[in-house]
Amino acid sequence: MKMTATFAAVSAIALMSAPALAETMTIGITQNNVGVDSYQTTYERAFVEAANADPNIDVVVLDAGGDVARQIGQIQDLIQQKVDAIIIWPTNGQAVVPAVRQADRAGIPVVITNSQIAEAGFDFIKSFSGPNNIIQGEYSAQMMCDALGGEGQIVQISGQPGYTTAIERQKGFEDELAANCPGVEIVETQPGDWNREKSQRVMENFLTKYDKIDGVYSGDDNMGVGALNAAKAAGRADETVFIGATNFAVGYEAMGRGEYWGSVYQSPVEDAKNALETAKAVASGEEVPFLNYFDTPKITQDNMSEFEKPVF
Amino acid sequence: MTTDTGEVGERRLSLPAWRDIGHGAQRQGILLAFIVFLILFSLFSDRFASWDNASTVFRQVSIIGTIALGVTIVVIGGNLDLSVGSMLSFSTVMVVDLHDKIGPAPAMAITLVATLAIGCVNGILVGFLKLNSLIVTLGMLSAIQGLTLIYSGGQNVDITDQEATWFAFFGRDFVLGIAVPTWIFLGLAVVFHIVLTRTAYGRRVFAVGGNKTAAAFSGIRRARVVFSTYVISSFTVFCAALILGSRVMGSQNNVGQGYELLVLAGVILGGTSLLGGSGSVIKTVIGVLILGFIQNGLLLMGYQYYAQWLVTWVVIILAVWLDVASQRGRLFTTTA
Repeated sequence: MKMTATFAAVSAIALMSAPALAETMTIGITQNNVGVDSYQTTYERAFVEAANADPNIDVVVLDAGGDVARQIGQIQDLIQQKVDAIIIWPTNGQAVVPAVRQADRAGIPVVITNSQIAEAGFDFIKSFSGPNNIIQGEYSAQMMCDALGGEGQIVQISGQPGYTTAIERQKGFEDELAANCPGVEIVETQPGDWNREKSQRVMENFLTKYDKIDGVYSGDDNMGVGALNAAKAAGRADETVFIGATNFAVGYEAMGRGEYWGSVYQSPVEDAKNALETAKAVASGEEVPFLNYFDTPKITQDNMSEFEKPVF
Repeated sequence: MTTDTGEVGERRLSLPAWRDIGHGAQRQGILLAFIVFLILFSLFSDRFASWDNASTVFRQVSIIGTIALGVTIVVIGGNLDLSVGSMLSFSTVMVVDLHDKIGPAPAMAITLVATLAIGCVNGILVGFLKLNSLIVTLGMLSAIQGLTLIYSGGQNVDITDQEATWFAFFGRDFVLGIAVPTWIFLGLAVVFHIVLTRTAYGRRVFAVGGNKTAAAFSGIRRARVVFSTYVISSFTVFCAALILGSRVMGSQNNVGQGYELLVLAGVILGGTSLLGGSGSVIKTVIGVLILGFIQNGLLLMGYQYYAQWLVTWVVIILAVWLDVASQRGRLFTTTA
């Protein structure tokens, strides 16, 4: 009885003192498609956790389910609710621009998270928070160069054609190799469509076509492990270095077995936290860089113990 | 997909199912096209015409090919099945996910039951409720994708101990020097071919697809036959899921996305009529192989992916045209 009374008193004080510390702000987020992959699922969980950890933040968490029309509706709802900032994970970089403009007109700062919107919308957003795909490609190129000692012929398995992430990772990789590692030659590039089975097929064909493949660069580890599967089945995995541009759990495990050389560590938790921090900053009127990247470090067999196994 | 009126129906009033198959064997447009492609590719790439490459392509097409066998039967029965792509995602995610939790054999058993259950739903809606198969299976395409996401919570699933499990047999092993996926694909093709051409059941499938009125007057229960074709189709999806899950040792939630169109392309390329009532699983095998060898050949020749997309579809149109042309020629001679 006494304990209950004490507890009630403490919570009453806590309740009264909370608003006194700082003004509560409301941040709305409309996500791309939670549940379609583990990255987005983990992102949402981390976002909600980070928001709950801060007593001065209220969040309205929405999900567009991959539907651009629904996302535009959600942005308009958030404008109506007069939230202090809106975070958007675009379902379509082009189609959301008019809705982003509406938010800007209503005086609500907008932060884009994870995937950039079309350039036409740049004037209406305060900041982009996300990974730097070009840097990720560059990191992969540097690891490839190190692993091969600056010389060799490699193949590239890229992501879905037309996707910004795929294009940027490919560009970062190719430019970095051309500039700083001319001894490593990309003999062929084919898309693996972010699909492990497709990548496995592509790699089988590469193995038939080329007698010597020193390295394989894949747009993510999911595809990289597909290529590794193919090379192992052909008994040619030992001669080849495998490097990815985003570390997945399967890549992490293959790295642990010594079959996979390295990748780039992109944490959905960091992605979510960075988005929330960026939104908090713009909502309170602080200056933030227009491109507010979060760090995506290199992960290799040597330093993998410093990282937790990815959740996706 | 079937029309009760029109010449397709009238032509088949007398249930000439096996006469049709006899004709099918004579129409060799597709086979001709296939051989022409093989020769062309062999001239341009020295790696193409090798045992290793051929066995790679057979293995690569086995997933789509196995499903195409089931879909061929659905199409001969006068319907479509567009739900096979997301059904494949569902089935693969389930068997891979359960593998580590309850062991390979129970995982396969449960997945088989679940996949056949989906086939039953398709079969009830199209067969017994007589709903349009295009609408039903298009709806099921997205419904099953949703089901998969609910099941997995969006997580990719993986088999942890890839080296130790006997589940590796279905996608990675070889028997008598030939990959197990190839055995499954070609084995099912032979069985289905015999069932379609040598049994009363096979004749019923051709009959309900060719002319339902005539079939009904002959005492064939259309609903049951249509129902069974969807169950068969879901069974082939299950077999393909075993190959896929075992080959990759993991699964994404959308791994089968778009496969329904590749499957359908193989079926059409094999000359099976979308109007129902005619077709052959053996020719579907050739259709699927044409697709596989084209993609493989173009890749070996070093073409960019957009060229592959373009050429693949040009070849499909050409091959179908070749087939239809030879078919028409024969039609003139029989009807004149």
